[in-house]
Amino acid sequence: MSYAELTCFSNFTFLTGASHPHELAERALALGYQALAITDECSVAGMPRAWAALRDSPVKLVTGSYFELASRDDGPPVRFVVLARNRLGYGQLCQLITQGRRQASKGSYHLSGDDLEQHPLDHCLCLWHAPHPREADFKSSLATGRWLQAHFSQGFWITATRTLEAGEESHLERIRNLASNLRCAIVATGQVHMHSRDCQPLQDVLTALRHNTTVEQAGHRLFQNGERYLRPLAVLERLYPETWRQESLRIAERCDFNPDILKEEYRYPANLVPPGYGASQYLQHLTREGEQRRFPDGTPPAIQALIRKELALIAELEYEHYFLTIHDIVRFARSRHILCQGRGSAANSAVCYCLGITEVDPRQVDLLFERFISRDRGEPPDIDVDFEHERREEVIQYIYQRYGRDHAALAATVIRYRPRSAIRDVGKALGFDPILVEQFLNGIDWRDTESNWRQQILDKNLTRNRRIADQFFKLVQRILGFPRHLSQHVGGFVISAGPLAELVPVENAAMAERTVIQWDKDDLESLGLMKVDVLALGMLSAIRKALALISARRGAPVTLQDIEREDPKVYDMLQSGDSIGVFQVESRAQMNMLPRLRPACYYDLVIQVAIVRPGPIQGDMVHPYLKRRACPEAVTYPNDDIRQVLERTLGVPIFQEQAIKLAMVAAGFSAGQADRLRRAMAAWKSDGDLTPFRGALIEGMLARGHSEAFAERLYKQICGFGGYGFPESHAASFALLVYVSAWLKHYHAPAFYCGLLNSQPMGFYSPSQLVQDARRHQVTVLPVDVNHSDWDHVLESINLENTTLESTNLEDTNDSLRLGLRLVKGLCREAGRRIGQQRPESGYRSTTDLRQRAELSQRDLEALAGAGALASLSSNRHQAYWQLLEHQLAPGLLLGTTGADDHPTPPVPLPVPNEGQNLLADYHSLGLSLRRHPLALLREQGHLKHCLNAEQLLAVEPGRPVQVAGLVTGRQRPGSAAGVTFVTLEDETGNINVVVWLATARRQRKPLLTARLLHVKGILEREGDIIHIMAGKLNDLSHLIENLNVQSRDFQ
Amino acid sequence: MLWLYLHFPHLLLDHLARSQETPAAMVTVASTSQQVLQVCPLAQQQGVQAGMRLKTALALTPELGIVHTNSTREAELLEQQACWLYHYAAQIVLYPPEGLLLEASSLLRLYRTLPALWQTLENALASRRLTAWLACGITPKAARLLARQNLGQCSDDHTLLAAQVQELPLPATGLETRPLERLARLGLTRLGEVAALPPRELARRLAPETLAHIQQILGQRPDPQHCWQPPHRFQQRVDFMQEVEQSQGLLFPLQPLLNELEEDLLWRQEDTDRLQLTLHHRDHSQQALSIRTAGPEHRASAFVELVRLHLERQPLPAPVIAMTLTVTRFLPRGTTISRDLLGENEDPKEAWQTLISRLQARLGRGALRQLEPQADHRPEKAWTTAGLQPQRRKPPVTQNPPPRPLWLLPSPQPLQQPPQTWLSGPERISSGWWDGERVQRDYYSALLTSGQLAWVYRDDQGHWFVHGWFG
Repeated sequence: MSYAELTCFSNFTFLTGASHPHELAERALALGYQALAITDECSVAGMPRAWAALRDSPVKLVTGSYFELASRDDGPPVRFVVLARNRLGYGQLCQLITQGRRQASKGSYHLSGDDLEQHPLDHCLCLWHAPHPREADFKSSLATGRWLQAHFSQGFWITATRTLEAGEESHLERIRNLASNLRCAIVATGQVHMHSRDCQPLQDVLTALRHNTTVEQAGHRLFQNGERYLRPLAVLERLYPETWRQESLRIAERCDFNPDILKEEYRYPANLVPPGYGASQYLQHLTREGEQRRFPDGTPPAIQALIRKELALIAELEYEHYFLTIHDIVRFARSRHILCQGRGSAANSAVCYCLGITEVDPRQVDLLFERFISRDRGEPPDIDVDFEHERREEVIQYIYQRYGRDHAALAATVIRYRPRSAIRDVGKALGFDPILVEQFLNGIDWRDTESNWRQQILDKNLTRNRRIADQFFKLVQRILGFPRHLSQHVGGFVISAGPLAELVPVENAAMAERTVIQWDKDDLESLGLMKVDVLALGMLSAIRKALALISARRGAPVTLQDIEREDPKVYDMLQSGDSIGVFQVESRAQMNMLPRLRPACYYDLVIQVAIVRPGPIQGDMVHPYLKRRACPEAVTYPNDDIRQVLERTLGVPIFQEQAIKLAMVAAGFSAGQADRLRRAMAAWKSDGDLTPFRGALIEGMLARGHSEAFAERLYKQICGFGGYGFPESHAASFALLVYVSAWLKHYHAPAFYCGLLNSQPMGFYSPSQLVQDARRHQVTVLPVDVNHSDWDHVLESINLENTTLESTNLEDTNDSLRLGLRLVKGLCREAGRRIGQQRPESGYRSTTDLRQRAELSQRDLEALAGAGALASLSSNRHQAYWQLLEHQLAPGLLLGTTGADDHPTPPVPLPVPNEGQNLLADYHSLGLSLRRHPLALLREQGHLKHCLNAEQLLAVEPGRPVQVAGLVTGRQRPGSAAGVTFVTLEDETGNINVVVWLATARRQRKPLLTARLLHVKGILEREGDIIHIMAGKLNDLSHLIENLNVQSRDFQ
Repeated sequence: MLWLYLHFPHLLLDHLARSQETPAAMVTVASTSQQVLQVCPLAQQQGVQAGMRLKTALALTPELGIVHTNSTREAELLEQQACWLYHYAAQIVLYPPEGLLLEASSLLRLYRTLPALWQTLENALASRRLTAWLACGITPKAARLLARQNLGQCSDDHTLLAAQVQELPLPATGLETRPLERLARLGLTRLGEVAALPPRELARRLAPETLAHIQQILGQRPDPQHCWQPPHRFQQRVDFMQEVEQSQGLLFPLQPLLNELEEDLLWRQEDTDRLQLTLHHRDHSQQALSIRTAGPEHRASAFVELVRLHLERQPLPAPVIAMTLTVTRFLPRGTTISRDLLGENEDPKEAWQTLISRLQARLGRGALRQLEPQADHRPEKAWTTAGLQPQRRKPPVTQNPPPRPLWLLPSPQPLQQPPQTWLSGPERISSGWWDGERVQRDYYSALLTSGQLAWVYRDDQGHWFVHGWFG
């Protein structure tokens, strides 16, 4: 005796199903079911996960979906399950889901009877859930049944469900009657909502949330009992007549759709290949063309061999279309002068170098392609392409237009319950006061143990009931990781040759004109489908803009390829920690690492990018690596296999790929096991867990003769990577941009800062910080002025006679940076552009002249006056503003009159702005000032006696007590540094790093959390050129800079 | 003219603190934002400031009490203050949510000197544990602005007061954001600097309303005020930060209300013979207690005894979050009145209330109930005897109730013998895990050997019970 469950909701029927698809699959297997259908409501989003769990098991997975059609005559909705009989049926099902989803707003669906009638479903089966007698009378139910049956002539059943609820007998009676009238069979189903009866509380919570109420108020909207679970066969035998159970097996047998077929028949659009070429041939042809461009003096034999090997592998795995698609997108970007750069497992190959997908030169780095595409793991290649952030939309539009909306859509991102949302929602369902829940969330210590949690819940008065406090904790634990809704992936496109909607349902995204498929990247990967990531990167915009400025100066185009690689001066700069504005290595942590790691070549940068991450830091890999770098000859390896994996990082695993590879060579993991480990690591931060792998890893290592200490250490290091490890294949591409941006900063500082400032907001630093850094690098920065500035920041040639710069070998330090009108708050972009375009040769003569020529509104002019941008037209900003205000009441009177400003109203006694006022006004309307730094002013006024500035600290011996003061520009409490707060202070000479230990922070919460100008007494510590102040006493001096609008970047 | 303004910087919090035996740090927050508005002194000591983000405030004081502002409540509360202030001053203007303006010139005749008046007010505030910043001004606006800045001085020297106003920083002048921004861009920081500019030019460049506002502050333009009229009743409310669960717990916070009432009655030269005490609950509807004295009375000590007796008889149906004391019936001193059981000289609604409360007082509160269905799968929770007022926020009850026996036993009884015939079942009910009264049962209807038609069930331990009888 066996059974097939044919109606089963997973938690991908959001706020309804109370079990993960894999839990349902595993339970069905354990109970000895013959088949299991995952039938989420108008969705197949849970199918790939159930398939991953059932692929090689005796339980057959049936794919289907549950629908409710709006009824035509005020009756109950028509409820039924559609099961796919085969690949065609699956396509029809996906089309139906797509239609229902596309007709409704994000997250919902709408299908009418007409939709169903017009939609071919001849390769599908239908299980009708007939209405209860209290919902509809026999006649109308029969009519509904007839109508539905007519549409599913291939297979139509009525389902019977016994959940032992009130009114069940009359319902079964009705079903029998309908079945005999319709001459169709009855099939037993369980209306399963959870894998185990224990999930009933969670199911009740989900129901309450769906109805936006509490469990207590949900009343009869909750199920009467917890019988909607996967019940043991013995129970089912008691409940259902044998014929009904047999029918379920018969239906399951007729469903032969195997999801693996999707991968086999999935094709990339063929129109990328010109007639007369095969895909393989064409890829070879393009690669050859690229070779000639990349290696004008002939391809080195080693590279030739590499290319041949890669092409062979691509051909063997039939990935040509994937590479051709990426090439096509990149080619489009090039034609529009959009800078882009590929990264990821297959991006840094010789083929991709030739195709122009990456600039990482295979001669320069010894990156083995095979490391990235694995033959045995069978995982699809992964190439992410970054584009300039301001122009990515053009690329996305190109993809839609090139392949058509029916063939291209974004992958989904499954938004899941995180601790915060879980606590909020469970609290809501249990009727806790939302304010108290928020307060609880603010004060929560996530590392607390379970009992402390309960105590916190009781302490915060969320409930007085101890049992409910326990229940709350259990429910939160259980709901963590549950999907909440589908959202769009940041840029992962799925493109297919056939209509996408026959492959996977497509639904609407929140953004108009965007559509997403129902699967996320893990689902795509497990089904073997490929996606192309089209991502946005601000640094590419900045680099492109800087290169354009340099090209304009030179009168000849300068491209990424023209930048000379491995220039020691660039590395010298980085080694000194001078990296503000440089891609990836500009954060405080990275900046502190630079002088310690002292990168001297490209591969050092690859390591630098990857090492300052929570993974390596938590796995305690930073110090060992730095120590080994100091004396590399002392490094030993247990065996040659491990040497091969770890040699390039001196025996310390730094990259995610190394952790995986180690599991294979040190613990003997098979390719499949390693792949599962990789997925668990990726999911670890949300709901994955590495403990299941612990036994296998440790035992594997012991069996291979490694010591227990070694095994434990390695396991700990692998754990450290969980979710936070950085892949080498991405670091390699990023490192290139690190080098390029550092090169720009070193050789073309004005263009570099100009490009950065014109690409804001991006990066780690505010325009104010960037401008200060520029000035410290001898870049002359000129103020915003309507007679000189454009909307964007520009470079101006300095009058060479006045230059005293010793700029012999640096070519464009003669340029100064003119700040643009884009900094002026409240000025609209169009008005700003007109000011530049309409400006006469001789400049604007007066504010009236400016107002008329550039067609400025009062608001625009006021913004300009406030920003001091009218300095060349008026004696000071106060007078300028007084005159402007004159016009605002009667602008009509002044049209046509010119030179009204030549006869100004009698002057009034307005105060002349002082330095402090100007400074405040600058910060207020520009966010930065070119005048003296506020700290310089305060110092001059004698407020900061005994305080040293950032420059003076360089001369202080370590261990000395010092006093410093500065504007607070950042407070960080990284999770990897237990309880320590890092505060960054800014003064007129630079930044000061302050370290506040937990005890100090607790005692002085107020100044630490609220001060904008902070005075610190502490001890100076120094490691090389890195200086930290270990804070003792903190003092809030904010009153000295009242109203000074400097934003702190808080990360808490 | 001289005006005196009282600014209550944290009235709502003072009010809440009155009912607390141990003070706690509290702030008010608008329900729509995460910004701290008012800060009690205790929270101020810990570094919390108005305008701070709530998150920062909680980081400074994790145990912070958070009160949501409510403009109606605050307006009522301000009026409550005006009521007692009316005993000292006849011309009061309300500036909700946090200020009261007094016309002081006429008061000076009564109190002779300003310091005497000032001290009287300070004492009255202190006895009520209220914080208010006082300030004098030659115009209503001047007094108000100075008080809000806590710059008030006990002086009626017009020159000094005028000079003080000139020194006011512009952001403290109550102007709108837009003109403030403009004045700041002109480099002006104090009211005096603006006042020195030619008024015509100023009106042209800023809005005429801005000029009017400034002139009203300076007394160059009339600023008519509308005096408040006290209502002919006494009403005071007290709110609790922590819910009160025992009726005895109401006596402590009730004392100041009764004191206030005594003072009010003394001032009115009147008595009363009935108090209305309304208890507010979080989810329950409010509960009105009508308390009658034996005869006309005004002493707080007499009232408190009566209320104590009344409360002892009345267990609280739910925790209390607030309490209002209302007196609407005032009797001239020395009158006696006849007692009428049904209160014929009252309006019918009040008479009904009186009847109910009397019946409840006689029979005990639990004696008066009405039946109601309730949406719950558990049979014993599927109906309820609610209080007499309908409850708010009920879950909808299904249209088609499941078959249930008309006679449900108050508590299930063990089944003595196996039934003669099983008629229907099982119906499985598993529900109610959230309130600690989970049931897991299989119900059957069965004919017992005694010939009775019973509704029986088996619980998850395998024990059998009779839960009800069918017809």
